[in-house]
Amino acid sequence: MMKLAGNRTLVLGASVVALLVALGISQAVLDRSAAAQSKGAVQAPRFEVDPLWPKPLPNHWILGSTIGVWVDTDDHVWIIHRSSATLGNNEKTLETKQGECCAGAPPVLEFDQDGNLLRHWGGPGQGYEWPDSNHGIFIDHKGNVWIGGNGGPDSHILKFTKDGKFLLQIGKKGARRKASAGAGNQEGQVAGFVGGSNDPMNFGRVAKVVVDPKANEAYVADGYLNKRVAVLDADTGKMKRYWGAYGNKPDDTPLPAYDPANKPAQQFYNPVHCADISVDRFIYVCDRVGDRLQVFTPEGKFVKEGFFGKTTKGSGAVWDIAFSKDPQQKYIFVPDGMNDIVRVIDRQTLQELTSFGDGGRQPGQFYGVHSIATDSKGNIYTTETWEGKRLQRFLYKGLGPVTKPHQGVVWPGSNATK
Amino acid sequence: MSRAARVAALFLIALSTGVARVSAHDIPRDVTVQAFARPDGRTFRLLVRVPMKAIMDIEFPRQDRDFMDLDRIDQSLRDASMIWLARKIELYEEDRLVGDPKILSTRVSLESDRSFDTYEHALAHVTGPALTSATTLFWEQGMLDVLFEYPIQSDRSHFAIHMAFDRLGITVVTALRFLPPGGVVRAYELEGDAGLVPLDPRWHQAALRFVTLGFFHILDGTDHLLFLFCLVIPFRRIWTLVPIVTAFTVAHSITLIAAAYSYAPGAQWFPPLIETLIATSIVYMALENIVVVTPRRRWLITFLFGLVHGFGFSFGLQHTVQFAGSYLLTSLLSFNVGVELGQLLVLVLIVPALDVLFRFVVAERMGTIILSAFVAHTAWHWTVDRYGVLRQFPWPTVTAADAATAIRWLMALIAVLATAYLLSRAAASARASGTPDTPGHIPK
Repeated sequence: MMKLAGNRTLVLGASVVALLVALGISQAVLDRSAAAQSKGAVQAPRFEVDPLWPKPLPNHWILGSTIGVWVDTDDHVWIIHRSSATLGNNEKTLETKQGECCAGAPPVLEFDQDGNLLRHWGGPGQGYEWPDSNHGIFIDHKGNVWIGGNGGPDSHILKFTKDGKFLLQIGKKGARRKASAGAGNQEGQVAGFVGGSNDPMNFGRVAKVVVDPKANEAYVADGYLNKRVAVLDADTGKMKRYWGAYGNKPDDTPLPAYDPANKPAQQFYNPVHCADISVDRFIYVCDRVGDRLQVFTPEGKFVKEGFFGKTTKGSGAVWDIAFSKDPQQKYIFVPDGMNDIVRVIDRQTLQELTSFGDGGRQPGQFYGVHSIATDSKGNIYTTETWEGKRLQRFLYKGLGPVTKPHQGVVWPGSNATK
Repeated sequence: MSRAARVAALFLIALSTGVARVSAHDIPRDVTVQAFARPDGRTFRLLVRVPMKAIMDIEFPRQDRDFMDLDRIDQSLRDASMIWLARKIELYEEDRLVGDPKILSTRVSLESDRSFDTYEHALAHVTGPALTSATTLFWEQGMLDVLFEYPIQSDRSHFAIHMAFDRLGITVVTALRFLPPGGVVRAYELEGDAGLVPLDPRWHQAALRFVTLGFFHILDGTDHLLFLFCLVIPFRRIWTLVPIVTAFTVAHSITLIAAAYSYAPGAQWFPPLIETLIATSIVYMALENIVVVTPRRRWLITFLFGLVHGFGFSFGLQHTVQFAGSYLLTSLLSFNVGVELGQLLVLVLIVPALDVLFRFVVAERMGTIILSAFVAHTAWHWTVDRYGVLRQFPWPTVTAADAATAIRWLMALIAVLATAYLLSRAAASARASGTPDTPGHIPK
């Protein structure tokens, strides 16, 4: 009996040792294979959608077309949306007293990293003209909130404190209206209004404002009616300089519809949809319909351009820009609301590395992905216009080898890190 | 007007002026205070940055549109620093309260200023040029930076600090970095009034803190307690309990320490997976109590589930590892000791209660079934709820690197189980061979 038991222990022991050896060999092989997979591949930031962020809004509030996002120095996420003006009657029965849900939320909303709603404000008030169709939001280095507008008569910019206290209006609403014209707020509507890209006082449907903290200058993507980038003193609002595509003097003569087969237009199409400044002080400007990103010095000297989704017509492929959070800002992220993807682009070469997302209403999909921002951890926030009407977060999952030109929906777990 | 009426009128005017001067604003919801503490020779420097919106009842001089009047702001910055910061701070050197600090410098900064990323940058900023008076800054959007200096005996002393900043906002987090001589940086994230914090804790201070944390953590964790309850319902004798409780302790210590050293997956799906498995472990134990009259090898299954519970403990420990100072392993083991003490307390209460119940109220077998059924019911609901959260995270795509990591974990598990098996065999054979010769053993 003793001998039998001894043999059994020996066999068991040998089996365990053999199993450990087999597993050891397997993991070594797998390690080598993993190293081979990543060797030599182009690296790009990877993301996963966070389906549980943000938390539901209180008070039966819902978002309208959501056309601006920014992340402040506390990593709080600010959005601006068009609220009731873009909600169907069947979406706002609380507001119309036809039912119990829902009502448009205030236009400006602040969320913390846990997805809780913090401050909320916005709308017409004393001392300023709220845009007919607010557009774009930015928080400057002094904590001030900047808002543009692309409604028919919107030709001005507003600045508030984070609590919504009015600080400054630059330009007057209605300045671009032709005599005897009526109001309107359709995107790209020109009838009744005329561009004024050389007007030093007013704007033409501003899409986005950013402020350069070093020079205390505001860069204005101007806009849906004008065809320029304007630079202002961020305190006084006084215009300091402006320029058009390739650094040319802007010209409001209407351009023929964008055709990828034609030579690139020497003026911006409408809308000039974004302007942002990189750490090495280059100004990146979105020519949305022209499917191109143009890069300038702060003085407006043209540096280079990149085309993305060049066959895209209609509303265009280059909607907004956000820089990656590494110190060199090696990557830029560009939402494309026509193709419903976010492109990941090498900032130096302006080469597209990969993209993610797809059309649809599930987490990680898009409908009219319009604006983008990054937080200090490298996470991405996107907002969607038209009937998309939402804010989404994509968690940064580190750099990884690019294995596909288009990743599709980056569902949780698809880029899990150890 | 009589003299009394004039005095009353003057008093009212003074009062109304005073009221008007007080800044009326809401208590901010979230406030983050940044601080650096550095003993250097016979002085202890404390750099603090606090949002100005958190300062109540101090009027900062303002100009048009409530922008700060930076030419006239110095005195109010010093007042705010003294009333809202210095008076809320107690610094101890070797358990002796250090006297009041001197305010060496104050500054207003933009909230986008990044100089509080390191001590050197922050010091240079606070002692460097102030914002020019032309800067337009809305008063609630500025940051107050202060450099305090405390007189100390030696920079090698043991220091402890109490920063009672809880009234600066509804939720206040103080990010404190302590830089003792030698180049080490200890980072603390203190919530509200975190009490007295030893800045470079001695091993026994760290151990005591973590024993306490572990003790209250287990008492606070209903799911861990229910698991323990299920374990002991059929095993209430000390010699049957010891191997089971030991297996649980060893197992959860392994995964808790592994997680503290960043060997646990960091993916989003991991916490809900662990929470679901913890609930499942309770369901399993309760069902086993119902189905099996005398469960065998409970120590083994307890060991496996203990591994899962250890990851669960680690989630509760994530924000407190900072208090370990240079004694991370000591602190983790102390946390486990605290968990053990909590478990012992629970066992001391449960076991006699069960004995009484089974002796006077209900027969043991029937009682075991009824109690286990209640526990199984509760835990089943937890399992379903937690699985509901987990299923929002589909299975991750398994890469070669993932598979290699999983295999390494499997190898470690097999090695641990094989060792445990060998030890139990050795113990059994020692008992078998030792029984006839045991001195004092009286054969029946």
